[in-house]
This record gives sequence, structure tokens and C-alpha cells, in this order.
Amino acid sequence: MAKIIGGLGTSHVPSIGAALDKGLRDTPDWKPFFDGYEVGKQWMRDAKPDIAVVVFNDHGNTFFLDRVPTFAVGVAETYNPVDEGWGPRAIPAFEGAVDFSWHFVDKLVERHFDPMVCREIEVDHGLQVPMELFFGRPEAWPVKVLPIWVNTIQYPIPTPQRCWEMGKVLREAIESWPGDERVVILGTGGLSHQLQGARAGFINQAADRAWLDGIASNPEPYRAMSREDYVEQFGSEGAELIMWLVMRAAMNSDVNLIHKHYHAPASMTGAGMVVLENAA
Amino acid sequence: MSEAAAMIPDTPLFDRAGSIRGYRINKMAMALGQPANRAAFKADEEAYLDSFGLSAHEKSAVMARDWHEMVRLGGNLFFILKISAVDPTPITRIGAAQASMEHEDFLHLRLGKKRNG
Repeated sequence: MAKIIGGLGTSHVPSIGAALDKGLRDTPDWKPFFDGYEVGKQWMRDAKPDIAVVVFNDHGNTFFLDRVPTFAVGVAETYNPVDEGWGPRAIPAFEGAVDFSWHFVDKLVERHFDPMVCREIEVDHGLQVPMELFFGRPEAWPVKVLPIWVNTIQYPIPTPQRCWEMGKVLREAIESWPGDERVVILGTGGLSHQLQGARAGFINQAADRAWLDGIASNPEPYRAMSREDYVEQFGSEGAELIMWLVMRAAMNSDVNLIHKHYHAPASMTGAGMVVLENAA
Repeated sequence: MSEAAAMIPDTPLFDRAGSIRGYRINKMAMALGQPANRAAFKADEEAYLDSFGLSAHEKSAVMARDWHEMVRLGGNLFFILKISAVDPTPITRIGAAQASMEHEDFLHLRLGKKRNG
């Protein structure tokens, strides 16, 4: 069976990629943010995964409102970075873990999920930025990817509990896969931010810091929270944090919090990451 | 969901009503992901907006870069950000406009950045 070697939670703010593109990594605004990820990058170099499962949302780049899948799973050979309006980015395309992705789709449907299955699709910063944060800017990505899209744009978005259940199926898929690949799971999005309405610019540092610890040691309250609670505590776009639950549910109930990092603001967002490993 | 969520002050959620109301604006903005459409937008903005059937009110909100009004008309920020990519306009200025704050105040009071100087 394949092995889960770690669960990561991370922000995927587009300005992070733009900062790297513009060579702003070491400017006063950005250096503390990027420096805090160095331990995560080192962890990734040491962990040597074969497959990265990336749970993220599209931001009106790949899916328009004409069709909005609540959950979508990629089974493509290749995922190109999508043009988000600023022109193409100079990062490599992502190679799909095709067979494993189909296996995950099989498991999902067997367990009564109904995902959209995507053979040909591009990926936006929701997947790009986490990959850059943990793998840097390689000539080719050292892992194959399994992208999972979660609708967090148009309401109704899925419940936190449903994201949790998907994580359980993800774990079952990994453990029932006959290969011996090493799999890392990235739950992405957040932390607190709000881009729309008169409360725009809302950041809740206390809630963010509590999240980074709680997602490791005691995720149950976050699973039980309503979507309204997420919006209230983390802002309208901060509700993206429900996607970390897919990652967390795939891990053991006992995990070790290996690394964490928090910085605010990254652009308009509370930003950070955790690295979790299953406890022995 | 939308009734309860509507109770969070100053926090519009992109629900059924917003999605229906903002469909044309968002479709126009989504198309700016393609270079040819960005060129058309830059060449003759009004003609580009007309080609997506925007109302006079919607057009004036877009052409004035009235971000607050675009969101009120159902524009979702992730789509209309593509307009800001053409301009370009920093996202923090869009945030400040929605909060009805000066940009420097917004950076300081909402995002917690130190004031310049």
C-alpha cells in the first residue's frame, strides 16, 4: 500500500506567487513570510514524496459560474498553470498521478461521493502557490499531483463535515492503493481574510493562531463548526479553511505538529502553514 | 444558509441571488483571462462591455472602477480581479474602496501594517 508521510496545511494567496515572480522574496514585506516556510521546504526535501494530493479551490479561473462542481477531481496527464489575467507564469506544468487519481475517484463513488472527474483542465494559484512554497522553483516538479477542487466561491459551499468525510475516503484510497508511493497531502486556503463587502480587510490573528494549533491537537471543534461560524471567525474568503479538514481527516487522530508558521498580512490575508506527521 | 449568513455584518456571501444578479459582469470579467479579450477591453472598453450585454448601470460601475458597486451588483471579487489585472490596481486598493477607507488607513487599521514614515 501507499504511505501517508505527512499532512500539510498552507495558505495559497496569489500574491505569494506574484512576489516570487517579481523577485520580492527578500523585501521587508515578504521576507518574514518566506523565511518561515524554509523549515517546511526542508521537511519536504527530507520526506521525498512521490505524490502530492492538493486540496484547493479554483478562484474563477478554471470554473465559471455556468457549472460549479462542489467537488472535482483531476485525472489528467498534465495540468498547465492557467492565465489568471496577468499572463502566463514561468513555472513548469504539473504531472498528474493518473492511475492513483482514478483509484481515488473509484473509492469516492463507492463511498457515495459524486465528484466531477476532470480529464483536461488547468490549475490556478490554489495549487501553484502551495507547490512553490514547499518545492521552490524546480525545473520540473519532483512529484506527481492529484488535484481536488472544492467549491468555496458560490454558496452553498460544502459543509466542514463533508470535507472531513472526503478526507476519510482519501485515506482509504491511499491505503488500498497497491503501489508503494509516498504520499503527502496538502490542505490549502486561508487563513483569515475577507475580500468583499464593507468588512473587507478583516483579519483575525487570534483565531488563526488557535487554528494552527487546534488543527493538529483537537480538530473536532472545527469539524463541528458551521459554515457561518467559519465566515464570522475567518472572514468570507477565510472559510476556505474547511479544505484543511480533508487533509486532517486523512491523518491519524493523533498527530505530531512538526512545524508551524504564521505571518500577517500576506497581501490581505493571515497566512501560514503547519506540517503534521502521524504519531507512532 | 443565506439567511443566517446574511446576518454577519458587512459580509456579502456569493449566494444564489448574487450569482444570478452578477452573471453578466462576472462572465465579462472571466473572459479577461484570455489575452485577446484583454486587448479588446483595452482598445474599446465600452464596446467590450456591450458585447457581454451589460446594463448601463453595470457598465458605469465597471468603467468608473467602482469596486464597491460592482460587488453590490453581484460581481464576485475573484472574477472582477481580472479587471484589476488589466489596469493594474492593487488588491489592497480594492479592499480599501469597499471598506470606504483611505488606502493608508486601510493598510494600518484593517491589515495591521505599520504606517509609512
